[in-house]
Amino acid sequence: MLIGIDVGGTFTDGVLFSGSSVLRSVKQITDETNLQKTLLEVLDELLAHAAKPVRRIVLSTTLVTNALATGQGERTALLLIPGSGLPYSAYRISPDTWILKGGIDFRGREIERPDKKEVDQALAEIDALGIKRVAVAGKFSNRNDLHERMVRDIINNRYPDMQVCISNEISGRLNFPRRAVTCYYTAMTLSEWNRFADEIEKAVKDRAPGSELHILKADGGTMTLEASRKQPCETVFSGPAASTMGAVALTREKANSVVVDIGGTTTDISLLIEGEPLYASRGALIRGHLTHVNSFAIDSIPLGGDSTIWVENQELKIGPMRRDVAACFGGVSPTVTDAFSVLLELGLGDAQASRAGLQEVAGQLGTEIGELCQRIVNNVIQQLTRSIVYMFTQWENEPAYKVWEVINKKSFVLHRVIGIGAAAPAIIPLLARELDVGHFLHRYSPVANAVGAALVRPTLAVEVHVDTQNGVYTVSPGGLRGEVTQRNFQLQDAKELASKYLAEIGKKRGMKGYADQGQFYLEEQFNVIRGWDRAGRLFDVGIQIAPGFIPEYEGVTE
Amino acid sequence: MKPTGVLFFPAFDWAISPTHPEREERLLYTRDQIFEEGIMDLPQIREYHPRLATAKEISRVHFCVPDVETRVTQAHLVSAGSALVMADAFMNGEVQNAFAIIRPPGHHAMTVCHGNRGFCDINNEAVMVEYLRQKHGLKRIAIVDTDVHHGDGTQEIFWHDPDVLFISFHQDGRTLYPGSGFTDELGGPLAYGTTINIPMAPRTTDEGIHYILDNLVLPILEEFKPDLVINSAGQDNHYSDPLANMSFTAQGYAVLNQKLRPDIAVLEGGYSVETALPYINMGIIMAMAGIDFSNLREPDYNPARFKESPNNMQYIKSLVNKQLENFRTRGERVEKNRSQGKEFETIMKNVFYDTDYLHEEQRLDLRLCKDCCGFRRISSSATQKNGRYYSVFCVSLPAACCPSCAEQARKSYQDMKDKPIYNYIYLQDRIKDEFRCLDTTTGEETIL
Repeated sequence: MLIGIDVGGTFTDGVLFSGSSVLRSVKQITDETNLQKTLLEVLDELLAHAAKPVRRIVLSTTLVTNALATGQGERTALLLIPGSGLPYSAYRISPDTWILKGGIDFRGREIERPDKKEVDQALAEIDALGIKRVAVAGKFSNRNDLHERMVRDIINNRYPDMQVCISNEISGRLNFPRRAVTCYYTAMTLSEWNRFADEIEKAVKDRAPGSELHILKADGGTMTLEASRKQPCETVFSGPAASTMGAVALTREKANSVVVDIGGTTTDISLLIEGEPLYASRGALIRGHLTHVNSFAIDSIPLGGDSTIWVENQELKIGPMRRDVAACFGGVSPTVTDAFSVLLELGLGDAQASRAGLQEVAGQLGTEIGELCQRIVNNVIQQLTRSIVYMFTQWENEPAYKVWEVINKKSFVLHRVIGIGAAAPAIIPLLARELDVGHFLHRYSPVANAVGAALVRPTLAVEVHVDTQNGVYTVSPGGLRGEVTQRNFQLQDAKELASKYLAEIGKKRGMKGYADQGQFYLEEQFNVIRGWDRAGRLFDVGIQIAPGFIPEYEGVTE
Repeated sequence: MKPTGVLFFPAFDWAISPTHPEREERLLYTRDQIFEEGIMDLPQIREYHPRLATAKEISRVHFCVPDVETRVTQAHLVSAGSALVMADAFMNGEVQNAFAIIRPPGHHAMTVCHGNRGFCDINNEAVMVEYLRQKHGLKRIAIVDTDVHHGDGTQEIFWHDPDVLFISFHQDGRTLYPGSGFTDELGGPLAYGTTINIPMAPRTTDEGIHYILDNLVLPILEEFKPDLVINSAGQDNHYSDPLANMSFTAQGYAVLNQKLRPDIAVLEGGYSVETALPYINMGIIMAMAGIDFSNLREPDYNPARFKESPNNMQYIKSLVNKQLENFRTRGERVEKNRSQGKEFETIMKNVFYDTDYLHEEQRLDLRLCKDCCGFRRISSSATQKNGRYYSVFCVSLPAACCPSCAEQARKSYQDMKDKPIYNYIYLQDRIKDEFRCLDTTTGEETIL
């Protein structure tokens, strides 16, 4: 038996899954002030229906997203080692920022040494302010993290009560500001997440001894609770990822689809390219900053089934706020769902209540109810269509760096609209007709997010950068580093190195059984020519266990 | 404030040969630097996707022998197409200015194209100029070539076009490829003075180049009043460039672009792949986007290292005065040439393609028209790299062609069709935006 729970902003959804069906699903309003309480209530209800022991529990939670969004994270100092380049004023990340001397270049060569006195001075100031969390980020630390480690060692020696994160251990990808932001957010939420992890771990141990506990990530894969303790930021935006993976689980087809998750107040739109979710090419955007958190490309628009229909200055307004559920389900005012229900004669809930509410609005605008519903429906379909088209073009117009990428220019041909979320059945068929494609709705669509959480497998991406001229390689994540001694090192050797680290890191993260599932997604090699001879080679290889499902999953009965 | 458009196309899968300066690695460290800096994430920058230039867009400038498809690699089409993407972004008002960081480069490519010379097949800036005229209705354009090598291709293409001001400063042609770009190269008889060359002594520094910029380039741009300014942005004046001998710095390049304020910059040469390019490209992006670049420097940068010699400053000052005068007296010179009473001016020349190692024989006849800058007839022959010999005849109508020249030019093409002494006959009709090519062996005519 499997359990998936998605603690969302409005609702918490949970499913108990076994074989190929959902045995029990729960939908409950989220208590924003006590996520844990809501989570455990849903868990208890699901466990009460589990006839056999639960093997695996996967949680998706907005804890870190909320902590970052509301600025509740702990006060954190950011130590930057930017060296030459953009002005320091470009780094508006933390109000508590110190800029340190030091410089590394793209080949990992030391250009300038940090000044230990300056480091001491900064730490004394941080200590005097009573700040206990420190994030350290250096430009090109992914090529050589000597300076980041140097600063960390000083902190560990002098201020053992300060908690330090260094950026290269969090991500080894290029983009210093994103690395600094991700490191800063990690340091900021580490304690709060670990407190939560402790409590959940204990609660689950008490309730379902012997079951594995996993956390859902923004990239649509899971990680063990243990692994999450070092990288809380990976848990942001896991809710939309759960929905998208739920859509993939329910459809299981290699088509180009758009997944439209219509919730109460917002609609999340994501793309499946031949059945694979599309990633945000620039990383997750958190509080206005791009990060190195790998997340799906999601366009979120403030429009949902419960968006209120109202009038202001004689003008029709649709949302963006939600007052209550739709009038047909006992809500206080008419909503988008009511308009679809009336226009398309869907007969949802109390159809009379829908009509009454909409009639009142129509009266205020001096129009007929049919005309009003048509306007609302057109507006909603238009907004959704615009967002979908925008996502296509964004994907098609991503930069290309190779000739073959330009010659084989990608274009998105849509096959299907997949509806997810409670309001999907009312809106999706019409949207699909507008886009001139078929649509897909499943009886589990309203809890697809929890289904997705219950079924997804762990993910892991490992990148290796090899510089044979300097005789070194670096590995991300984790900031590992090693020497290349082998003469005539080839791309194949770099790929083997990446595979080896995928297996090793995977093992450490409790991902047994997936090591042979790695797929290479990045293979680059460059000759380093000095004079007219080859002085070495540079390789960048990426291998990943891509988003997917646990082996025992074989589909959901319709 | 609108953003600066950046199109980064490093062609990571294209090289002239594995160890050639124009190889995959060339923009690798620039990629590392601009990605690591995260400059593309800033609101001041907007990144663009490249596209292929069409055969027609290429044919507005070049006579590719035998045709565009055979002559031009796809990498060159992407490079030229990328410049056009930047042109559209700028003209559509999406960006305040634009920088195409692209390879392969283009400024040694001339009107007739038999192969690769100076690492160039297709002249990216020239293709962009004719595109700006055709698609966006511009007329007067200035190109400032800041590459260390003389932009002889661009010069040749606009040699007879008084509406394109071409200014090139470069290391003295007596000491560097392509061995041209002297002060007496001032343009054809009807476009005299709109080609301005500034040969600089080896080891000229930021100070020298900025003196030229302030006292020659900026004043004549001001007087010429172009609709648009292009920086043909080579980066090999840098002190670390392996193919040249100048002493320019990344700061120097950034300041240059800050002062020049080009509407569109297009990368040309620059082969110090590790020590210069990452920093110069950052510097140009920052200067164009109005980002403070005072924190930008090369790892071995030392402001006290290069000092301009008094002798060289003396030379530069006299050079500036001489070229200012040449530019300012251009009107009289053109009138004098026009009133000679000659119908055609004939120029014979031999063009060497260093990359492909071939020689082209060329004869050009320019009509000394009273009403416009005249149409051109070119006969050209060369044995190409694959051993095939081509002899071709080309007719070109200028963008601002008068009706009489247009009529005569079209007639020249028609007349030549009956005389199969050439393998191919071409008509570049920029007025109708129509480009014809006749294969005299098969009798087949293609029209773009």
